[in-house]
Amino acid sequence: MSDKSPAVDRGILVFAIWAVFGFLGLGLFLEGMAHDVWGIAAIGVACVVLAFAGHIIVNGIFDTGFSQGETVLGIAIYGGLSLLFVLGALGGGMTMADFYSGLTLFGTLGAGFLVYLFTRHGLRGAFSRFHGKSASLQKGNR
Amino acid sequence: MIWLPLYVLFYTLVTLYWARIAAQANGSDQTYFSAGHDLQPWVSALVIAGASLSGWVVLGGASEVALHGFGQPALLQAGIALALPGVLFFKRLWLVGERLRLSSQAEVFRAYYRSEFLVVVSTLVAVLFAVGFAGMQLRALSGLVAQLTGDAVTAPVVGLALSAVMFGYVVIGGMRAIGYLGAVQTLLLAAALIGLAGFALVGLGGFDALNAGLVALAADPAHAGLFSVAGVIQFTAGIGREAAAGHEGTALASLGLLFALMGFQASPLAAKIVMSTRNPRGLAAGQTWVLAGVGGALVVGCMVVLGAAALIDPGLAVPQLLASISPWFSAWLFIGLLAGVQLVAGLALFTAGEALVRHIYKPWFQSSLNRQDTVTITRVVIGVLALISVAMQALTPVTLSALGALALPLSVQLWVPLLGICWLGWFGRGAVMAGVGFGIAGVLLTEPAGHALLSYLGLDLPWGRWPWTLHSALWGIVPNLCVTLLVSAVTRRIRLGEEAQDIRQLLDVTLRSGPKVRALQVTAWSVVLAWVFLAAGPGLIFGNSAFVGTDGAWLLGMPSLWGWALLFWAAGLGMVWFLSYKMELASPLTVGIPPYAPKPRLRYDQTVAEAARLRTAVITIAAGFGIVVMTVLSFGG
Repeated sequence: MSDKSPAVDRGILVFAIWAVFGFLGLGLFLEGMAHDVWGIAAIGVACVVLAFAGHIIVNGIFDTGFSQGETVLGIAIYGGLSLLFVLGALGGGMTMADFYSGLTLFGTLGAGFLVYLFTRHGLRGAFSRFHGKSASLQKGNR
Repeated sequence: MIWLPLYVLFYTLVTLYWARIAAQANGSDQTYFSAGHDLQPWVSALVIAGASLSGWVVLGGASEVALHGFGQPALLQAGIALALPGVLFFKRLWLVGERLRLSSQAEVFRAYYRSEFLVVVSTLVAVLFAVGFAGMQLRALSGLVAQLTGDAVTAPVVGLALSAVMFGYVVIGGMRAIGYLGAVQTLLLAAALIGLAGFALVGLGGFDALNAGLVALAADPAHAGLFSVAGVIQFTAGIGREAAAGHEGTALASLGLLFALMGFQASPLAAKIVMSTRNPRGLAAGQTWVLAGVGGALVVGCMVVLGAAALIDPGLAVPQLLASISPWFSAWLFIGLLAGVQLVAGLALFTAGEALVRHIYKPWFQSSLNRQDTVTITRVVIGVLALISVAMQALTPVTLSALGALALPLSVQLWVPLLGICWLGWFGRGAVMAGVGFGIAGVLLTEPAGHALLSYLGLDLPWGRWPWTLHSALWGIVPNLCVTLLVSAVTRRIRLGEEAQDIRQLLDVTLRSGPKVRALQVTAWSVVLAWVFLAAGPGLIFGNSAFVGTDGAWLLGMPSLWGWALLFWAAGLGMVWFLSYKMELASPLTVGIPPYAPKPRLRYDQTVAEAARLRTAVITIAAGFGIVVMTVLSFGG
């Protein structure tokens, strides 16, 4: 049981970080959208980034990366929200503040994700994370 | 309003996820009650802090400030008051638990004092916390949801649903789930308190507007009493019999409240967390930095801001505030409150269920019960207690409130047996039992529950609640201590049992103070007494005018008593640090504690005696119930 402790400790910390900063960020982002104030939405995005940073720090402490479940959940949420944003933009119901708020969120998260990959795996390693086939071919050619 | 159900659903999923993780980690029923004594110290530190503050800090504390202003400054020292008993008891209690391989307060009382009376009192306190104290908070929360949804969902339905969620994770994951989830719940509660205070400040127009509003209130003679302590003591007949001059908030009323707050960490709930912890390394940091530091800052900062905002504008009271902000924020803050309430409610239900089954039913009536059946019956009892609480929330809120009000003052009475175990080994078994008996009588005679009981029996007491403006906790603990000291002095030659002697030896050897600590003992006593005197005792009357200029203006731009409370929160934090680390009362301990090996004893077959006992209990309960029903039918309720 004790050998599972690090995973449990990490899980508790990750849940706590997202429950506090993630939901605060979501709330502020929605508040900015509702009141057409880009500044508030941007603070919300900053909170989400803070949650990511916290998550990465916790990963660093426990010497691990994002789990498979976390990655899938993150990408699914990112994809779903992106789809909503694009549909909203196409529907034409968005104000400029909404539009910029959305761009800020998705741009920041996308850029942040790349920065994370580059810093964790290096430029070439990050590319290889997506280009598994090429990497295996390279191995085979050696 | 989709956000609230969405967030509640998400929260429910999270609780079930952690219940599953906990159940997997438990592996079998063997570790259901104590998490295998394997909770991480930092998790325990968070859970102790969260359970100590609980939803009370928002639902009770802030509304107390909103109603009565700054007249009860001890309330503002809740962070320190809640931390102090833990500093005094937890390290030693953990050692006792580790040595005797015990995981709950009732077991410790049974092993050390060999007293069934103390076991029953400990169980009773746990039940009062589970049904009354937590029930009151759940009721307030259910009312809040009903209000937020415009009564689309009624309070009893909400109460039932929220209890079902709590019941789910408690019965699935046991103590481990309470620990794992409790850490997350504590942080959610803290975030909700900060968020609510932030919204209240925004609603009011900032900190300057808050203080300007308070200045305006203080200028009104009708409200001036909200900003001062009403003397040291007033010899009134008590609430409901004779009103105090000005208001009930005297300095000694504050002292009584401080004692009541100190009851939580003497309760079986706190002991349960401590004795389920892997090692005591997190105790000092938890009590000092998490509870007294962060918790104390949240109380003296956010809780007071929230209450003061509602004092100025009742539209900023928690229910109205939640209704006025955006639904996503409202839902998030509600989840924080829910987490705080469920943390203490789940822990209380679990502790009470365990105490009733493992410490009362099993040893008295069915000692042959195996672990699996014990766990199953405990789960059933937890469900029954949760249902009773929900039913009382809906049907008998006044009784619920009267029972809930007993939890903290009765818990304070457990200070004396804990002092006997942890520090004062010359407290004898009989002395402690007599003391606790007198303490309980003192509490019951000064609380509405006791009054109602005596009134039902035809005895009307000539005093009301909290005579002389003193809290029932004080009316209980003073006779409790006096009787215990007196009886112990007379019966000092009566020897303790084997386990108790072993514990005395262990504590004397393992925790022997070094020369540095011994040299600081007088300083420590002086610091504590001075802090209690000035922060929550008679010295509070200096706080009335400490930060008021000669022209009557507030020198700090805030009420003098608030400034006084901030000053003594900082001083109290220093005091808790000094006691925890420098006096080594809660400092980390690295020595291994070998288990106690009891002398072999012959075990007799108890089946016949247990069956007879069970028969007697059933007949007594049935007869008692019948007499009560007949009395009510004959003479009215």
